[in-house]
Amino acid sequence: MTVSTFLSSTLVLGLLEAAPLVLAAVGFTLIFCLNGFINVAYSENITLGAYFAVIFNSILGWNFYLSIIPAALLSGVISVLTYLLLFRPAFKRGVGKTELIILSVGLSYFIRYGSKLLFGNDLYNFNFSSTSYLSFFGIGITTVQLACIGLVVIISLGIYLFIYKTNYGERMRALADNEELAMISGIDPIKVSILIWFIAGTAGGLAGLFYGAFSFVSSSLGWNLILIIIMVTIVGGIGSVRGALIASACVGIITSAVTLLSKPLYGEIVLLIIFIGILKLRKVRV
Amino acid sequence: MEQLFSGYMIYSLSFLLIFIALATILHLQFSIGGIVNFGIVGFWGLGMYAFALLNLKLNIPFVPAVLLASALTGIVSMALGRIILNLDDQAVLVGTLAFATIIEYLATTEKWLTNGVMGFGTIKFPFDLGANTLFVYFLVVLVFLILLMFYVSKIKTSPYGRLLLSIKDNEILSQSLGKPTFRHKIIFFTVTCSLIGFFGAMTAPLYNYIFPRMIGPGITFTIWIALMLGGRKKLLGGFIGILATIGLFDYVIETVVPIPTQYAEMVPNVKFALYGLTLMLVLMFRPLGILGDKKREVKG
Amino acid sequence: MREKVLHLRNVIKRFGGRTVVDIKDITFGTHGIEGLIGPNGAGKTTLIGLISRKVSMDQGQILYYQDKNEMDISKKSLDELSRMGLVRTNQIIQDFESLSIRDSLLLSLANSKHEKFYNIFNEKELRKNTEKEIEKYLDYFNFEDPDGHALSAGEKKLLDIIRCMVLKPKFLLMDEPTAGLPHDQTDKVIELMKKKTKEEGMAILIVEHDLDLIWTVSENVYFMSEGEILIKGTPDEIRKNKTVINKYMGESEC
Repeated sequence: MTVSTFLSSTLVLGLLEAAPLVLAAVGFTLIFCLNGFINVAYSENITLGAYFAVIFNSILGWNFYLSIIPAALLSGVISVLTYLLLFRPAFKRGVGKTELIILSVGLSYFIRYGSKLLFGNDLYNFNFSSTSYLSFFGIGITTVQLACIGLVVIISLGIYLFIYKTNYGERMRALADNEELAMISGIDPIKVSILIWFIAGTAGGLAGLFYGAFSFVSSSLGWNLILIIIMVTIVGGIGSVRGALIASACVGIITSAVTLLSKPLYGEIVLLIIFIGILKLRKVRV
Repeated sequence: MEQLFSGYMIYSLSFLLIFIALATILHLQFSIGGIVNFGIVGFWGLGMYAFALLNLKLNIPFVPAVLLASALTGIVSMALGRIILNLDDQAVLVGTLAFATIIEYLATTEKWLTNGVMGFGTIKFPFDLGANTLFVYFLVVLVFLILLMFYVSKIKTSPYGRLLLSIKDNEILSQSLGKPTFRHKIIFFTVTCSLIGFFGAMTAPLYNYIFPRMIGPGITFTIWIALMLGGRKKLLGGFIGILATIGLFDYVIETVVPIPTQYAEMVPNVKFALYGLTLMLVLMFRPLGILGDKKREVKG
Repeated sequence: MREKVLHLRNVIKRFGGRTVVDIKDITFGTHGIEGLIGPNGAGKTTLIGLISRKVSMDQGQILYYQDKNEMDISKKSLDELSRMGLVRTNQIIQDFESLSIRDSLLLSLANSKHEKFYNIFNEKELRKNTEKEIEKYLDYFNFEDPDGHALSAGEKKLLDIIRCMVLKPKFLLMDEPTAGLPHDQTDKVIELMKKKTKEEGMAILIVEHDLDLIWTVSENVYFMSEGEILIKGTPDEIRKNKTVINKYMGESEC
């Protein structure tokens, strides 16, 4: 492999890998930024997004692109439900930060193995009406992958603009920065929180769906990603959507570079070591 | 009744003892030392793999191999501790979780050493007493568990325990009273993690054959769930919690309740879903677990 | 006059381009109890933060004298300082939520020899050795339930002071020690401070807004304004000083 093909394939594969990760990291960051805890159960939001798409696409036979819409909306609804039924009551009871994480582990187990009871141990694939291969710098990319990346770009851009440029996004950020201040200036914290959890859930569901489209859907889809997502959020700067965007692209590229150079899993190991190092170097107060 | 104490059951009970030991060490680390260790399985797995490699590949006898494996786990945890222990709880949590994942992946990738996903064996018991071998080994593990419990119960009413509690509650205040808290935390983490490594090494002969899937994050979470359920602030919290989770499912239900074969593969899923549900209920309605008081502590 | 305990030379601290503390040359500890006063924003809290290593210095030298030895403490950590005898009580209430009042004092009195992971059988010995000392304080301050937790803000504040006192520091920084204490306890604390400085050679530096307290207990007072220590002298000298009256007393009477 020449240097240039190595570089181009790393870049293309890395960005391909990073595309859904961007969505998941942005969604995760939103919740982290608003409520200040690591929501491990976000992993199940990702998995459920993929499962919802499986229901519409593989089981009901809808067109893949069409089934994205209800799957994304349902993921958002699930996310809001977990907020209203579990996390909000927990905040009110004064559950501590560490306990909240353990609570989210409990929810994650409940959803993951509960959904396994419904969907079994099977692996699901999506039905795409037509797939053809394109070549980019010597790397084969399917039209589905291309479409997914396009959608990821559009959706992340949408969320980005929504958060940084619109009136409603401003309210969200005000609330995340200071709840009391937000209350005084007439912002309803419940409404805004629901909206944030909805957007985060939608983003997570879409991420899961695209991951599923790149390979297959299984009950541990989200679970396998959550550590990387937590890392991306922390490395990218807590609560910064921009940081999460950049960090997830880097993560994708590093993983694919190491994976191309050596064996699979080494990419992840290298990432985890870098991550622990960054924790220390930046003295990140998570 | 006879069936409960058959060879298979002694085997299951030995595992139960090991997990009770891990939950008790977690109680020590989390509820006394304030360290949020989400990488228990990493230290346990490291101890287990290190022991098995020393014992099988280098032919080091059982006892020195166990001690070396525990010491190695201690050294690795000291290095990790130096990096993460002066960061806050959430950073310690993700740091240890990342560490455990690294150990699991390394056990998979380093095929030359560990034979990758296929795993390796056969790890023998340190003695051969014929039909009684397993039972005597069970007793040995039991003795170590009792020693551990005794140690933890003693720590609670010792100057050392008071120091650990002070670091957990208010590290800066503890420093201002002249306590070198970071050094204490590193030593404490090293010692307790090498204990986890010790019990990991002791697990190896029970498994006989070890492979990376055994050291997945599920074990860490099960132990956390058990401790929270049993009562994280109590010495017997881990014991009660493990009985109510692993004990109930892997021992009582699997042997006593006749489950039709077509549903057998559902059992683990039901089990973990129920673990998750229980954990949520405990944290919401009885935060200090079965043995704890009902009320959540009011802080400040 | 006693030997100096602390010597600050050209100590400067800036926050975002603004100089908050700028001390040319000052010594502390030459009198038993000394007071530090000044208007809000004068840099008092930052100054004691600098001495107790809670705030990092931009420039300068803080020297600490122990048995005629001179030590630069700008590189020392909080716990090292405490073991060297430089201790500070807290302005904001601090406590250990899992420790009872007695436990807190036992913690304070235990040293690194007691606190080893392999030494778990020395509780009795520690209790026996410290019983007298602890009972003395518990009786003096009349705690309702010494084996329970400090409940009120006043009790916590008092416990904070006693925890520091039992360390037998050489130099004790007290940041608003009597704010929030009931009157009778305030008097007891003052008496204790006087006793410690006379009998055990402890040096105390108090930062207070309650000027009456400063005038009654201090032998020497430093007046700080805009980051600099402008004047030092006996309480009477400071009270009558024009600069102090203009910059501070007028303001506090408004």
